[in-house]
Amino acid sequence: MTDLLAVEPLEAKTPLGPLFWACVAWLSLNVLAAILANLLPLQDPLFQNYSALNAGPSLHHLLGTDDLGRDIFSRIVFGSRISILVGIGAMFIGFGIGAPLGMLTAYRRGKFDHIVTTMMYVLLAFPAIIAVIAVLSFWTPRSILKIIIVIGAASIPLVYRVVRAASLSVATRDFVTAAKVQGASSLRILLREILPNITPIMVSFLLIGIASVVTLEGALAFLGLSVNPPTPSWGNMINESRTVLAQNPWLVLFPSLALCLFLLSLNFIGDRLRTYFDVSEVKL
Amino acid sequence: MSPDSRHLLEVDQLSTTFATPHGLLPAVSEVSFTLQEDETIGIVGESGSGKTVLARTIMGLQPMTNIQVEGSVLINGFQVVGASDPEKRKHWGTDVAMVFQDPMTSLNPVMRIGKQIDETLRVRLGMSRQSAKARAIELLTLVGIPSSTERYDAFPGELSGGMRQRVVIATALACSPKLLLADEPTTGLDVTIQAQILNLLGELQQRLHMSVVLITHDLGVVATRTSRLIVMYAGRVVEIGETRDIFAHHRMPYTRALLDSSPRISNPSHTRLLAIPGRPPNLLNLPNGCSFAPRCSFATDQCHNERPPLTPSSEPGHSFACWNPLPISTRSEMS
Amino acid sequence: MTSHVPLLSVRDLTVVFGSGSHAVSAVAGISFDIFPGETLGLVGESGCGKSTTGKALMKIVAPTSGSIELDGIDVTRQKGRALRNARSRMQMIFQDPISSLNPRRRIKDIVAEPLDCWKSVVGVERDDLVADLLNKVGIDPAIYGNRYARQFSGGQCQRISIARSLAMRPKLLICDEMVSALDVSVQAQILNLLQDLKEEYGLTLLFIAHDLAVVKNVSDRVAVMYLGKICEIGPADNLYHSPAHPYTKALLGAALEADPDSPVHGEVLQGEPPSPLDPPSGCRFRTRCPYATELCANEEPQPREIAPGHQVACHFPLVP
Repeated sequence: MTDLLAVEPLEAKTPLGPLFWACVAWLSLNVLAAILANLLPLQDPLFQNYSALNAGPSLHHLLGTDDLGRDIFSRIVFGSRISILVGIGAMFIGFGIGAPLGMLTAYRRGKFDHIVTTMMYVLLAFPAIIAVIAVLSFWTPRSILKIIIVIGAASIPLVYRVVRAASLSVATRDFVTAAKVQGASSLRILLREILPNITPIMVSFLLIGIASVVTLEGALAFLGLSVNPPTPSWGNMINESRTVLAQNPWLVLFPSLALCLFLLSLNFIGDRLRTYFDVSEVKL
Repeated sequence: MSPDSRHLLEVDQLSTTFATPHGLLPAVSEVSFTLQEDETIGIVGESGSGKTVLARTIMGLQPMTNIQVEGSVLINGFQVVGASDPEKRKHWGTDVAMVFQDPMTSLNPVMRIGKQIDETLRVRLGMSRQSAKARAIELLTLVGIPSSTERYDAFPGELSGGMRQRVVIATALACSPKLLLADEPTTGLDVTIQAQILNLLGELQQRLHMSVVLITHDLGVVATRTSRLIVMYAGRVVEIGETRDIFAHHRMPYTRALLDSSPRISNPSHTRLLAIPGRPPNLLNLPNGCSFAPRCSFATDQCHNERPPLTPSSEPGHSFACWNPLPISTRSEMS
Repeated sequence: MTSHVPLLSVRDLTVVFGSGSHAVSAVAGISFDIFPGETLGLVGESGCGKSTTGKALMKIVAPTSGSIELDGIDVTRQKGRALRNARSRMQMIFQDPISSLNPRRRIKDIVAEPLDCWKSVVGVERDDLVADLLNKVGIDPAIYGNRYARQFSGGQCQRISIARSLAMRPKLLICDEMVSALDVSVQAQILNLLQDLKEEYGLTLLFIAHDLAVVKNVSDRVAVMYLGKICEIGPADNLYHSPAHPYTKALLGAALEADPDSPVHGEVLQGEPPSPLDPPSGCRFRTRCPYATELCANEEPQPREIAPGHQVACHFPLVP
């Protein structure tokens, strides 16, 4: 018996596009610069050059200097370390705990699911930003690690909800039942059948999550709840620039631009990846 | 077919093409047929044969973007192709109505069923609230819904699948359409319920003097309930004629393949079905010649290179599209 | 072909969903045997409990009471590894071919999944076995083995499902509406393939479907279910030719034949099945039965033999 397997290129997806790759390039540049900041020929971000206060962009100071004569370009690069570290670190905690829990409860269902989900919804009902501010105001002295832990913990219910919902729609499909019937263990089903199907959603949520945490760090810094000055972070820099806004608009412009481009790239990549990997959208 | 009877529906060289990211998709190609008043015609085909798109094109339900409709559809003298939405709205309901496959999605789940019929009556026919309600209850009774006065206030979710399909039919009949398009009206219903709904459609057709287009994948549904039959494959009409002629004297090998591969109750148990290999073609990448040629055991070079036109057979009104038709009067004895 | 020791023996199987006033007996005490090498068809309308029966046998849903014996071993109370072991001797093919394969895995891995779970066959031997299975179901492993499941059509997916289910060489294959989502011409291919493989692998089948014609074409014996109970069971040809239960007769009367000369059924079973939340007393079919009497309301009919191997649960079985 021959079957005419006219397998058509169902995979003929629209390409990711140049904008996507531009965003990826920009992000990589950001991350790379943050990692290698110490090795790059940058000026000391804390060195105060009193001969050039509030200077505009020049060859010597590419993006100008701040009110204390510190090089803005160098401070943005060093500041990105804090922002990116907090973003990735917090999501590491959020996904490390929220994702496995969400998959497990969606697969297991029953009482366990009921209890965990109710708990998470109670946590979700409490405004996370207020909780984060409250904890960070009292948990002194502040350090990057503490900020990461607090924001990370606050993101767990959000990650849990997204992962559980995604896993639930997969766990009820017949191929999961089929795997069970073939004698696959629960761990195998979680890793082989469910995880690959929710990965695209998780990746795009992870990117958007990092973006949100970077914004949140900026907001905390603005309230003076992030790392202590003079250590630069994007939020810190924007915060400090308030007082000298009239004399030195560069000081607010460049860190804001850096933050903005970083967030835009992350969101765009996340969104594009989600549609790209969405199996159901490909089919006619 | 008396020559003086009017053609209620005239479909002429109708083609519907979708523009997809992967290229042009000819869902319906050069379909022509006519339907008289009081007549029931069946359209059978497998998935991808274009039968549902054909029904939606006849109805004029296609979105305007990414789609191209050529040819003509005349219903009761109204040209559907190219008509504007307000024009079509005037013609929907009174000239033509449609019953869809899934009764759950064609009813609004948060609206009481009576209200859904009421609305049409009041907007289209300008009825008063009381008379619309009375008429709606009358319609529900007509389609065989027991205690229709109480059911008037029910939500679709409170009804079974069969009852919901009855409500859908009642909604379609609200403005006494001359033509009813029924797209897989019983697919997904149980056999006993399917028989009830088909009987109901047959009764209503006779009582209200409607013409019906019955679209289905199931040859059993059309065998005894239509006077003429169209067999579609890959968007084209491959055989058309009186239902009896198609069953008894089909000339197109695909029609025979469909009949042979249908399991029958009259067969003894463990009857081996005569299956044809392969599956319906990808419409984005159709062969040059006959679309069925790759699966056909009679195919020749001509079949692979040249598309067969519809050719009249010996019986009146019976045509087929095949270069190497089956000899006349070969009722397939194999099954 | 058939021996007298059943491969699968089901006794008083019940499956109750929910509890208290919301308890629904989807399966309300059914008993049947399947003998080695035969195909038992299980037909009924939606909600009659036929799919739940199949799932209960695989323990995808937990049986509430009763016993399921496979090869003389009661699998009803088995758990953990013993249950997984029992499942490898019974396999199931599902209704929705697309949904039963993981779209993000390659089909050769999907077919190998049961082997990998059990580590029974590894390395080159495993790859050869997978290739052989794919060949058996008519899919060329060299060309298509590395493609993802989402690239295949319904009929092809069902072939892959069959290959997967055969990997562990099960004794019993449960087919739950396996062709109802397929086009007629593809359906015939799959039914023929199933028949071929059944002979080659010496399989025993439980074929669950709503389509009476399909069931008759594949089955040796047929059981008819209504509202969680088996109302008639017997040899396929016998049962279709001279149905003894009024419900079987009504089902057959409503079925449509692809033949313009078949009689148009003026007399159609009226009404719809009652809610399983509140089943009628006595015989569950009595509310729609044209022959129902007071006895039917008061006393539940027990299955009794009216011909060799032909049992019917009715106080007034129809005489041929």
